[in-house]
Amino acid sequence: MESAIQLSCFDCSLRPDRVFCDLPADALEAFDAIKTIALYPRGTTLFQEGRPARGVFMLCDGRAKLTVCSGNGRRLTLRIAGPGEMLGLSAAVSGTPYEVTAEMLDNSQVAFVRRKDMLHFLRMHRDACLQVVHLLSQDLHTAYDRVRAIGLVRTRQHGPVKTAV
Amino acid sequence: MVPRYDAGSKVRATKHAEQQRGILGNPTAGQLVTGGCEVLSPYGLEIVESCLTCKLREERIFCDLPNSALQAFENIKYATAYPKGAVLFVEGQSPRGIFVLCKGRVKMSICSTDGKTLILKIAEPGEVLGLSATVSGKPYELTAETIDPCQVNFVKREDFLRFLKEHGDACFRVAEQLSEKYNNACHEVRSLGLSHSAAEKLAKLLLEWSGRNGEAAKLEPRLKLALTHEEIAQMIGTSRETVTRLFAELKKRQIIQSKGSTLLIRNKAALKLMAGA
Repeated sequence: MESAIQLSCFDCSLRPDRVFCDLPADALEAFDAIKTIALYPRGTTLFQEGRPARGVFMLCDGRAKLTVCSGNGRRLTLRIAGPGEMLGLSAAVSGTPYEVTAEMLDNSQVAFVRRKDMLHFLRMHRDACLQVVHLLSQDLHTAYDRVRAIGLVRTRQHGPVKTAV
Repeated sequence: MVPRYDAGSKVRATKHAEQQRGILGNPTAGQLVTGGCEVLSPYGLEIVESCLTCKLREERIFCDLPNSALQAFENIKYATAYPKGAVLFVEGQSPRGIFVLCKGRVKMSICSTDGKTLILKIAEPGEVLGLSATVSGKPYELTAETIDPCQVNFVKREDFLRFLKEHGDACFRVAEQLSEKYNNACHEVRSLGLSHSAAEKLAKLLLEWSGRNGEAAKLEPRLKLALTHEEIAQMIGTSRETVTRLFAELKKRQIIQSKGSTLLIRNKAALKLMAGA
């Protein structure tokens, strides 16, 4: 089921509930100006692990699956990202390639911001930068949970540990 | 002889042997010999008192701030020295603040309820420890234990959060550091969850370590082994016996050669093949 596109962040009813989106008016206006909105069908790959970071993707609604891949094609799911999350953030901030592959699980509205524009925005708006810091902390917390879940189950056989996502 | 790690103790006293060796090979611990004069300093570390005059400032992500921000940071930091084997904070502990690692290295690990330990990484100077916990208010996710004598700049949580609110540059640097840590954590997930065998993981680790300190371009790079076999096992999620066996095999096949704690990689191509690269 497709919902209508919310062109402006100011019109979004879910804004106050979301860590990043609940910004002061001037920062939100600036963010509105640098983002482009699109509707992505289920199964779309937003970005691939190892590719240079073009920008960030804000999931306005819907979910995305984040996975990592080995050299021989085996795939492991890191987590499922939900609405209000910003994907590709760490890669865009540090200028490194995307650490994961992101694939849409639902037909969703996604806001894209180019890397250059995002970095400029963060330098200009301290509040937004602080929100990004909080988002990154959350991402990191989840990644450590995953490491704990995988890495501390030490089995005698060789091969990956199968854990529920 | 490497001191054994006691999971129950919060701070491990420095062994007599360590004290005798000192930091610069000086037989007397705590005495730094500079220009022929003896200077007393804790654990043989030359403490850098001021960030503003620190020579290494520009090379480090967090430290490379404008003077105004750095001056504000000076006012909220406490410069401290720790011996090897000191625990800075424990996984699950309520966050007191951040620890900026100025000198020395720190082992970052995760522990399960039944005592298994996984070493996530060895933090190098310039890294800010306890960052995500301090920012989020959630408990520290890792245990930090020094593996060298360290100088650490501690900043209390409320002071640090206020500092971030007031200094946008510092806030951006923190975002960069968190991004780096996330990158590293994803790398760990990939390595632990997708690698075939302990041999593959060990080969990857040795290649990663040999790529540092300008050794990457050499045909036969060197690396200094800072960890025991048990600690390496904890890094790659296997047993100490397996790590010892793998090292013996690598030496037998002349892929590596060891001289004390220095390892020389004789056959980089073979190691890469083992790593599945």
